[in-house]
Amino acid sequence: MEVKKNLLDTIGKKFVQVGLPRELFEKNRFNLLVDRNKIVVRYPAPGVRSEVIETPTGVKTKVYVEPGTKLEEPVILCFGAAETTEVQTTEGEIIVGEGADVKFQVYGAMAEGIKLKHENKLKVRVEKNARFEFLDLHYNGEETFVELETETDAYVGENAYFRSIFKQTRGRAGRVRIVLKANVDKKGVAVFETKMIGKKDDEIYVEDVIHLNGEESRGISKSRIIAVDETKATFVGETYGNAPKCRGHIDCSEVIRGKDVVVKAVPVVVVNDETAKVTHEAAIGSIDKKQLETLMARGLTEDEAVDVIVQGMLR
Amino acid sequence: MNPILTVNSVKLTINGKPILKGVDLVVNKGEIHAILGPNGAGKSTLAALIMGINDLKEPTDGEIIFRDKLLNGLEIYERAKLGVTLAWQDPARFEGITVEEYLKLSGRNNPELDVVECLELVGLDCNYLNRFVDETLSGGERKRVELASILAMRPELAVLDEPDSGIDFVSMEDIANMIKTMRERGTTVLMITHREEIAEIADRATLMCDGKVVQTGSPKEVGQKFKTMCVKCEVRNPELVGGE
Repeated sequence: MEVKKNLLDTIGKKFVQVGLPRELFEKNRFNLLVDRNKIVVRYPAPGVRSEVIETPTGVKTKVYVEPGTKLEEPVILCFGAAETTEVQTTEGEIIVGEGADVKFQVYGAMAEGIKLKHENKLKVRVEKNARFEFLDLHYNGEETFVELETETDAYVGENAYFRSIFKQTRGRAGRVRIVLKANVDKKGVAVFETKMIGKKDDEIYVEDVIHLNGEESRGISKSRIIAVDETKATFVGETYGNAPKCRGHIDCSEVIRGKDVVVKAVPVVVVNDETAKVTHEAAIGSIDKKQLETLMARGLTEDEAVDVIVQGMLR
Repeated sequence: MNPILTVNSVKLTINGKPILKGVDLVVNKGEIHAILGPNGAGKSTLAALIMGINDLKEPTDGEIIFRDKLLNGLEIYERAKLGVTLAWQDPARFEGITVEEYLKLSGRNNPELDVVECLELVGLDCNYLNRFVDETLSGGERKRVELASILAMRPELAVLDEPDSGIDFVSMEDIANMIKTMRERGTTVLMITHREEIAEIADRATLMCDGKVVQTGSPKEVGQKFKTMCVKCEVRNPELVGGE
């Protein structure tokens, strides 16, 4: 176990301020915590082997979950920046061995008021009969400005399950480009969910691409983007039904609030097999009036009611 | 007589069309008051004006007074803070909000709030606390949760718009009992309905037709009038009974 205690306390204060749960620091629940390009905490999880290397601008990680590993508690990682830095790059590879069942809870924390560009590239391989959930939680301050470019490329093996959830529900999004790709093998399942809120002049671009290559494979791509003020947001969901009896669905429901908001949803559905089926639904609109009035009839002001509805959608 | 809600000569015209044509109504504190009438009578419009929903913050003419406060022009939440609320005929669904959270939001100013008890009073057990108030609830369950939220809030006046709609006959008795419980807990109930069976639980009833009050009296008298007069009228004057 490697812990730089004083550094952890200093970073903890800044990350808790932007919304990270305090108990993560109080109980030092991290398996890996990185501030810019420095490893602050490293603590192995059972059945999970990892290599982490500091680079001039960030870290490179390789994680291997041994076959058959089943963990009840999530593996907790945090890649953040407590101070302004020009660029932070994280590069990673995660292999989840055959029959394993694990969850990774990954926190991206950018302290209040800082500016930086964060580049992330991740390769994921979920082997046969394995189950992997990747919860990517982002916390930025209201005065933080982050330019985030993240690309995940996943392979989902036979009868395997991969779920990736990207959430940024408080603070500013900044300028964000998220690309998630999956190639799904026979009877495999890929689920991509993105839940974000954009404020002021934030720019959000989300692209989900799922190739259903194996027979009876399944894919779901779901986005919930709340765009406020002058936010520009685009969601592109592409699902390719390339194999017999595969099933895909794209579900985007975006909410706009503010007259200068621009939101675009682009579902792309391609089917190359007559027994495959891919569907989509897209809705962009303001907050549902009846929901708003119902909460106001219980005594909430309009702003309070909007907050409750939005946080529910982003849950 | 202790009026809690007074509707004085309320008129409402929308796009040049008169919807309410001088409605007078008094609801006394502690009573269950039913408003009966055929579709298109203006019942739900009156309920919307009382709560200020659907952009109906004030009537074209007349006044709506709750206790001694004029409601005309007030925001929805201001009316709620005074002690008025409304349960919708077809309540809203909320993604990502649990029944427990919804009840706690509704009852956040009720120091004696007990969400489990509120659920039990509407015939739902505590397993519903973790359910989402979304499409996964059936129509009947959602309706019960809505009534539970009124019990949680414990307002002085609850306007219930068609609490019996979408409810099967067996559950009607349950709904009637829930409304009585509301009253026992200090809430005056103004209930909009077009079914005289449910109106029978009221202390008094008012019959509306074509944007006007026709009669106020005992539920039996008013129900009888509704059955004899309005049903025939619907046949004779189908233009009076359009959707609301």
